[in-house]
Amino acid sequence: MLSCAAAVLVLMVLLALFGDVVWHQNPLTVNLAAALNSPSLAHPFGTDSLGRDVFARFNDGARISLLTGFTVVLCATVIGTMVGVFAGMRGGLLDGILMRLMDALLAFPPLILAMLVTVGLGVGLVTSTLGITLAAVPYYARLVRAEVLQVRSSPLIEATVALGSTEGRVIYRHLLPGLTSILLVQGSALLGSSILTLAALGFIGLGAQVPSPEWGSMITDGLQYALTGQWWISLFPGLGVLVTATAAGVFADRLRDRLDPRFVPMDVREMVTAAR
Amino acid sequence: MKSILSRTFGGITTVIGVSVITFVFLRALPGNPARLMVGSLASPHTVALERQAMGLDHPLYVQYWDFVEGIVRGNWGFSYSAGEPVRSLFASRLPASIELGLAAFIFAVGGSLVLALAVTYRPRRLLDRVVRGLAFLGTGTPAFWFGLVGLLVFSVWLNVLPGPEGRLAPSVIPPPDVTGLYVIDTAIAGQFRTMWDALVHLVLPAVTLGLFPLAYLTRLLRVNLLDVSRRNFLTVARSKGLGRWAAFYRHALPNASLPMLTACGLIFGELIGGSVVVEKVFDWPGIGNLVANAVLQQDYSVVEIYVVLSALAYVVINVVVDMLYGVLDPRVRIPTQSSL
Repeated sequence: MLSCAAAVLVLMVLLALFGDVVWHQNPLTVNLAAALNSPSLAHPFGTDSLGRDVFARFNDGARISLLTGFTVVLCATVIGTMVGVFAGMRGGLLDGILMRLMDALLAFPPLILAMLVTVGLGVGLVTSTLGITLAAVPYYARLVRAEVLQVRSSPLIEATVALGSTEGRVIYRHLLPGLTSILLVQGSALLGSSILTLAALGFIGLGAQVPSPEWGSMITDGLQYALTGQWWISLFPGLGVLVTATAAGVFADRLRDRLDPRFVPMDVREMVTAAR
Repeated sequence: MKSILSRTFGGITTVIGVSVITFVFLRALPGNPARLMVGSLASPHTVALERQAMGLDHPLYVQYWDFVEGIVRGNWGFSYSAGEPVRSLFASRLPASIELGLAAFIFAVGGSLVLALAVTYRPRRLLDRVVRGLAFLGTGTPAFWFGLVGLLVFSVWLNVLPGPEGRLAPSVIPPPDVTGLYVIDTAIAGQFRTMWDALVHLVLPAVTLGLFPLAYLTRLLRVNLLDVSRRNFLTVARSKGLGRWAAFYRHALPNASLPMLTACGLIFGELIGGSVVVEKVFDWPGIGNLVANAVLQQDYSVVEIYVVLSALAYVVINVVVDMLYGVLDPRVRIPTQSSL
């Protein structure tokens, strides 16, 4: 199952990277004469209301989703780890304030926090990415801080400090290596949920803006046509989200079984509300 | 008693954090917050009036205080796109969201009980794999897309369920308002044909909204049930002659449900508050749809209140659930060494 999920993810990445090399149609070319064509050999996923090739748009959407997903995972891991390490090592008032701030960030459902950020800073893909990242940071911060507190009080660390280890060396040599497996698991779970959140944002019109082919906004494009029989415009981007997010979820679960069976990656809230 | 106090205190600090974050993103960071509130079509004069009303010429801490005071006093601003105060808009949309949320909650909790029971009551490997697979699919499916596919299959192709037309067919007159929940109001008024119509309109949105929680709760309950069923007290109960069902119902289920409480509480709060994406698909006249339309019309005073309220609901539910644990599980009441 682990390799199966990994294979699906790799396939999606390949589609995102080389989709336009294999499939030569431009995702933005309007051709009203070929509007709303059902799937055929010329257009495997059909065409939308402006005659744009849905397959080409699907590939481009894969690029947007995966690029956003990986950016979110990378940024959230780095920022969250820094906050967690800082709060855990320093302790005291600063630790209290930082963790209260993280609690407050956790109180927002991810989608709604992302809404808040995009509305305040201007609608678009960059602000959506920022919003989704901000929603993910507290999980990392809590996770890492808990780990830091545990490691810091261990006799091993006391001994290395007594032998003259600096704080930086303790973090770099003893703390971070132990974090890799939980960060990997958390990261792949986050990849799935942030792709879902991005699609939901695009669906309500706060994500990537027209004419950019983001999966969620493609579903919105096809919404009014789906009920009159042109189902393909919305169906395929939705399947893209489903397949990618599920593969990432399964991957995270299996990876956890392999690496650290006792670790529970996502908070209840993240799982339940990512796509709302 | 002390733990209740400290939990409430923790809740209060979180609420303060929530208000600061909202304030920063909607009032302190944007170039022109007044423009954000009155919309891009408003005249410069209106923007200037709003600037004054929002007190944007005051220092930030005064603005923050006014912002918090406005929310606490129920002065939630004016929605220019609806031409109505935000508060009355929310009040009129709340019952629809509550009805949908309740239906979805019942579906999710009931469904997860049945599924988890089916795979743990007696070991069935194949069924277990199927349920686990479905649970994964459920957490990876975009709910709004699932609703759309549901509409396509059951409304367009099979024609057994109504399309996205809200809570009732356009020709049906709503029941007299008592609770605001159509299914209950029609029962009170004895209008059973209207009740049927309301139920039929509720099925697909409720299933769509409940899909995610269903998948999550099934995974959670399945793991908990498997965990509990390996405990010694169950072996003892069974070996003393207690039937499989009685042992399950009296001993395994209550113990396995305790960890579900937090999840259920949070899910309940989420569902009642209305889902922006699901309500949009079904054109459900609830709070979520209101917010979705407000986003499209850049009517951000509605969005602001929605954001604050959903975060507040989370904090309150969290505190309440924590206290409920103390009532349901006496072990939580006494702070032990490990819980400190």
